[in-house]
Amino acid sequence: MLKIENLYASVGDKKVLNGLSLEVKAGEVHAIMGPNGSGKSTLASVLAGRPGYTVDKGTVTYEGKDLLGLEPQDRAHEGIFLGFQYPVEIPGVNNVYLLKAAVNAARKHKGLPEVDAFDFLGLVREKMKLMKMDESFLSRGVNEGFSGGEKKRNEILQMLVLEPKLAILDETDSGLDIDALKIVAAGVNSLRSAERAVVLVTHYQRLLDYIVPDFVHVLARGKIVRSGDRTLALELEKRGYDWVLEDAA
Amino acid sequence: MSAVLSERIVEEHAAAASGLPSSVVSAERRTRALEILRTSGLPTARDDNWKYANLRALEKNSFRSLATESRRKVAPSDLPPAIAGYARYVFVDGAFAPELSAAAAHAGVTVKAVASSGAQSGNAASDRSGSASAGAGLRSGAPSVVGTAADAGAAARGDERFALLNEAFAVDGAVVHAPKGADCAACVEILFVATEAAQSAASYPRLELQVEANARVGLIERHVSVGNDANFVNGVVQVNIAAGAQVDHYRLQQSGAHATWFDTLTATVEKDARYCMQFVSVGALSARTTSRVQLVGPGAEAAVHVVSLADGQQVHDGFALIEHVAANTKSETTLRGIAAGRARVAFNSKVVVREHAKGTDSKQSLRGLLAGTQAEIDVRPQLEIYTDDVRCNHGATAGKLDDNMLFYLLSRGIEKDIALQLLKWAFLEDVVSRIAVPELRKHIEQVLAGQMKETAALKELL
Repeated sequence: MLKIENLYASVGDKKVLNGLSLEVKAGEVHAIMGPNGSGKSTLASVLAGRPGYTVDKGTVTYEGKDLLGLEPQDRAHEGIFLGFQYPVEIPGVNNVYLLKAAVNAARKHKGLPEVDAFDFLGLVREKMKLMKMDESFLSRGVNEGFSGGEKKRNEILQMLVLEPKLAILDETDSGLDIDALKIVAAGVNSLRSAERAVVLVTHYQRLLDYIVPDFVHVLARGKIVRSGDRTLALELEKRGYDWVLEDAA
Repeated sequence: MSAVLSERIVEEHAAAASGLPSSVVSAERRTRALEILRTSGLPTARDDNWKYANLRALEKNSFRSLATESRRKVAPSDLPPAIAGYARYVFVDGAFAPELSAAAAHAGVTVKAVASSGAQSGNAASDRSGSASAGAGLRSGAPSVVGTAADAGAAARGDERFALLNEAFAVDGAVVHAPKGADCAACVEILFVATEAAQSAASYPRLELQVEANARVGLIERHVSVGNDANFVNGVVQVNIAAGAQVDHYRLQQSGAHATWFDTLTATVEKDARYCMQFVSVGALSARTTSRVQLVGPGAEAAVHVVSLADGQQVHDGFALIEHVAANTKSETTLRGIAAGRARVAFNSKVVVREHAKGTDSKQSLRGLLAGTQAEIDVRPQLEIYTDDVRCNHGATAGKLDDNMLFYLLSRGIEKDIALQLLKWAFLEDVVSRIAVPELRKHIEQVLAGQMKETAALKELL
C-alpha cells in the first residue's frame, strides 16, 4: 500500500529525514517510535503534504502512485488521513459541516453523489457514541474550545467517518488520560481491517497496549534504526532508547 | 478641506436655503452649522482620525439636497426584500417616501418623518408630538443631532463635522420613539435609498431613535442605492436610550459600488441601559463611519460590532469612540474586516474612561484579514483612562489566513478554493453569529456571501 524508499526531507535548512525506508501493507498496523527530534512528526507531515517540508531525495509510492506529487486534498481523496498531533481550532466552521464537506469531497472525487444529510447525521451520531462525545459537539466550531482529549477524540471521529485506507496518527495518545486513551484505541481498532493500514507515531508504549501493532520501528536521526514486533516496544519501555541508538551507531 | 470647498458648500446652501424645511432643522441651526464648516472646514487626510478615509471624491460632489418634487421615482421592486417582522419606512434621497413604506403595529413604538405631513405611525393613538420624552430636541421644530451631545466647538474640532453638513442640508428625518416599557424586539426597518448622482445632489439621511425607560427595541437601519449613479450619502444618526432600556441596532451599508457613503452616529446610554450596534458594511467605493457612544449612567453597556468587507478599490474607514462616563459601565468593540483586491479596511477604535467611571470593563478586539496582495488593513485600538480600578482589554491583528487552518481543511479533502472561502467566512462568523434574530442573521449572511462572490462553498451554511 505504502512504500517509502530512501527518503530525505528537511524543514527550512534543517535536514530531518536521512534515508528513511518503510513499507506498509494493507491490513497492517505499524508503530513508529523514537526519541524527541528523531523525525517522527516530520514523517507524518511529509506523508500528508504539509507545506514547509521539502523532500530532498527518495520516493513515496502509495497504491502505485507517486504520493509526493499529490496535493494534500488529493491525498485525502485517495484515502490518506492524518490525525494531527495538535488539532487546529477553526471557530466559525461547524464540526458537522466540515465532516460532511470532507465526505462529499471524497465522494465527488470518486464520481459518487453527495451523502444524504439525514443519513449522514445518523452516521455521525453513531460514531460519536463510540467516541463517547457529547451531543453538543454537533453545533460547535471545529475543535473550538475543546480540551486536549476532546480534540484527539474528534480526530478519531473524523477518521471513523472518512474511513481512510491509510491512517497516519501523529501522537494521538499524547495528553490523553487512561480513559480517553482507551476510547481512542477502541476507535482505531474498530477501523482495522484487511483493506486498511494504520501508522501510529508515538512516544510511549502505553498506546500499544490497546492498539497492538504488527510492527514496531525505532526512528533515530531521521532513519529507521531497528524494526521488530510488539516486544520491541516493551523492551524500549524498560530500557529506553539509548541502547538502540548505541547499537545503531 | 480647501477653502474652495467650504465656499462652495456655503454657496450651494444659499441657493437652496429657502426650500429647506425648518421643521427638520431650524434656519438658525443650519446657519450655525454652515458657519462652523466655513471656519473649520470638513476633515482632511491631515486630521489624525481621517487619514485612511477617502475624501477625494468630495471635491467633485455637489452638496445641495434635492427638493421632494425632483426626487427620482423608485419602484418597490427596486428595493431589497423586507425582513419578516419589521415594519419598513423608506426614505429616498433623505426624504420620506410613504408610497414605499409599509407600516405595522409595533408595541406602541412610533415612527415619524419630520418634514412630511404624510408621516406614518405604527400606532396613531400614541402620537407623541408634544409629549415629554427622555431625550432632548425631540419636538418636531428642532430634532438636533449634534447640538444635544456636543457643543459647537467640540463638533468643529472633532470628528463630527460631517454631521454639520447634514444639518445644513437635510430635507427630512425619521424619528423613532419607544415609550416607557415598550417591547418591540423585532420592530422597524428604516431604509435609506440613494438615487442621485453625486455631481448633481447629495442624500442626507437622518435618524433619531428615542427609547424611554425599560423599553426594548430592535431596529434595522439600511442604506442602499437604486440606479447606477455614484451617490454621495452623508447620514446622521442619534440614539438616546433611557434607564433600563435595551436597543439592538442593526446597520447595513449596502450602497452602490461607486457611492461615497459617510455617516455620523452619536448615542447616549443611561443607567443600566444597553445599546448593541451591529454594523455590516459591504457597499460603497468610499465609506466612512464615525460613531461616538457615551455611557452616561451607572451600569450602562454598549457593544459595537463591525463587519467590513471590501474588494476592488473600495475604502472602508471607521472611527468608533466609546466614552465611559459613569461607574461600572461596560463596553465591547469588535471589528472583523476583510480587504481583498486593492481594497483598504481601516478601523480606529477608542475607549475613553472618564474620572468617575470606576469599575469600567471594556474590550476591544480588532482583526483584519488581508485577502489580496495589494490590499491594506489598518487597525488601531486606543485607550485613554482617567481613573483606576478598571479592566480594559484590547487586541488588534492584521494578517493573512492561518496556514495551519488551511492545511487542516485540505488534509480533510476540502478543495483549496472552498477552504479559503470557508476560512474567510469563519473569520466573519465570529461577529455575525451574535445577531440574535435568525431571519436577520440569515439575511446578513446572504449579503456577505453575495459580496464574497464565490458562494458555492457557503451554500450549505446559508
